[in-house]
Amino acid sequence: MALELQEVTKTYGSGAAEVPALRGVSLQIRSNEYVAIMGPSGSGKSTMMNIIGCLDVPTTGRYVLDGEDVSDLSESRLARIRNEKIGFVFQTFNLLPRADIFHNVELPLIYAGMRPGKRRSLAREALERVGLGDRLRARPNQLSGGERQRVAIARALVSQPSILLADEPTGNLDTVTGGEIMSLLDRLFEQGHTVVLVTHEAEIARHAHRIVRLRDGLIESDERQSEPKRGLA
Amino acid sequence: MRIVQQMIESVRRAGAAIVANKLRGGLTTLGIVIGVVAVDTTMTAVNGLANNFARSVAVLGSDVLYVSRMPWVFQGTFFTFRNRPPLTVDEAEELERRVESAVAVNPTAHTFKDIKFRSTVLENMDIVGTTDRHMLVSSAVPELGRFLTAPEVRYRKFVCVIGSDIRDRLFEDIDPINKTIKIGRFSYRVIGVMEKQGGAGMIGGPNFDAMIYIPIHTMIKAYGGERRDFDIAVRARSQQALEDLRYQVIGEMRKIRRLSPAEEDNFTINQMDTLVGMFNNVMGVVLLIGMLITGIALFVGGVGVMNIMFVSVTERTREIGIRKALGAQRSTILVQYLCESAAICLFGGLLGLLIALGVTELIDRLLLPASISPPIVAIAIVVSIGVGVVAGLIPAVRAARLNPIEALRYE
Repeated sequence: MALELQEVTKTYGSGAAEVPALRGVSLQIRSNEYVAIMGPSGSGKSTMMNIIGCLDVPTTGRYVLDGEDVSDLSESRLARIRNEKIGFVFQTFNLLPRADIFHNVELPLIYAGMRPGKRRSLAREALERVGLGDRLRARPNQLSGGERQRVAIARALVSQPSILLADEPTGNLDTVTGGEIMSLLDRLFEQGHTVVLVTHEAEIARHAHRIVRLRDGLIESDERQSEPKRGLA
Repeated sequence: MRIVQQMIESVRRAGAAIVANKLRGGLTTLGIVIGVVAVDTTMTAVNGLANNFARSVAVLGSDVLYVSRMPWVFQGTFFTFRNRPPLTVDEAEELERRVESAVAVNPTAHTFKDIKFRSTVLENMDIVGTTDRHMLVSSAVPELGRFLTAPEVRYRKFVCVIGSDIRDRLFEDIDPINKTIKIGRFSYRVIGVMEKQGGAGMIGGPNFDAMIYIPIHTMIKAYGGERRDFDIAVRARSQQALEDLRYQVIGEMRKIRRLSPAEEDNFTINQMDTLVGMFNNVMGVVLLIGMLITGIALFVGGVGVMNIMFVSVTERTREIGIRKALGAQRSTILVQYLCESAAICLFGGLLGLLIALGVTELIDRLLLPASISPPIVAIAIVVSIGVGVVAGLIPAVRAARLNPIEALRYE
């Protein structure tokens, strides 16, 4: 089991201003699953992503990641869990603008305290895997959107995380480059990664083997797809 | 290992951040530059003065006692000292006979006269009546000619030895030896010029280079000696023997003056220690004021840095969010921003050090010998890093405490 949510609720604010974002969600994702979490805005999808990504903790309920209960950890422990087990891919790429892409990819390993020699070879390897091995010293603003997202994926992969958490990974890309990114994610899944895709686009969600739909803080449906979409659009 | 890695990363990022905002970083640094220049210049000046003073003390000799009517540094009322009988040349000679352990005993007196060579007049110069033994109690030697001799002193010859300043001001390029100058109404033949000693004149102490030495008996004969106040310099064999000598001199002086055991001393033994103590007090005040001004300059500089760090944290809120999402600890972010702030200040400090080197060079040429010593360099570096850390602390804590979700959402 890669991760398990047990009756997770999340409430923002307190007293009269209380806003429930998740109202009791249970979900299990096995290793090497390809899951899309869908839902309109306000459905609790972002909150769920934050909790799965260990950026936030549930108000009640349990979250078990890789066999470890992470529902009530300190900020410092959460930071370490994120570093070791979560690979984020964001809609807006979120690369450090002033650093070259090699440094961007190397960063999680620096935070893990890895020796320079080892981390450099891992970072280079990760960039080679996404096809940017020849542009290590480029800065993000010298790259196209698709290339930037590939850097972000390399950065997410470099620390060999338990799950790859992609939040609207094609949201800022045109259809063609979006398709390229999706096929890269498909390939990573086939190589054994666990991929969790958060999106509101049905076309993107079709790449996953399983689609979890959220509405008003509850799981509305959880279906397997017999014929997931593969490759370019 | 982890911490070291992160420190290295932090310093590298700090450098990049400064380079990315050259003008802003430069302007921010200005406050620190000024502060560090102030620190260095103050300390260098104080050091220079202290060295200068130490040299003067060395000229007077730290193994020399001075028997005088008045103490150099007053404690108590002036009147108790004023009513004491002045010391006389006879007492000096008597003391010399009695204190055999001393290397030399030399009476001196000062009078102030106008001096004249051809048409050049120097007003109110310090005329020192002394003996040939002056050479034994002072480390100064003549640069030209010779000092007074015992016969010249005994037979009241009208000869004089002038300080180097007097030579410069009175004779300029002319060879002063065997020239005749007027001191008050009397003519004297110049027989020697003392080497430059670099006195404590700058800080109100005696300027030995502006003195003129004449035989003490000549002084009494020419300008009167009735109520003249003499100082008697007594030189010990060594610095260790000084304390013994002190008690011996006090004892002998009491015998010479026939003081009964109940009476207090009606003379004072002055030592360099007292002057050194006074000087240290004065320099302490100078240093304090200097440090106060410096402190204000650094404070203003620090506020500037703090301000720019706040701007920097706000600007890079999203970057902080990204770093946190990738696993940066609070401490990592904290260290990163402290390093950046310290690096800005260190840069300013080094620049300030460079400018201070120039200022010191200027002081050295125009005012007094001064140089920047390694401790001053070290202090400048430590102070600038310290200001950076203190100024960066609040912005860094704010950065470290940012919520990663909100920071990631920040536009």
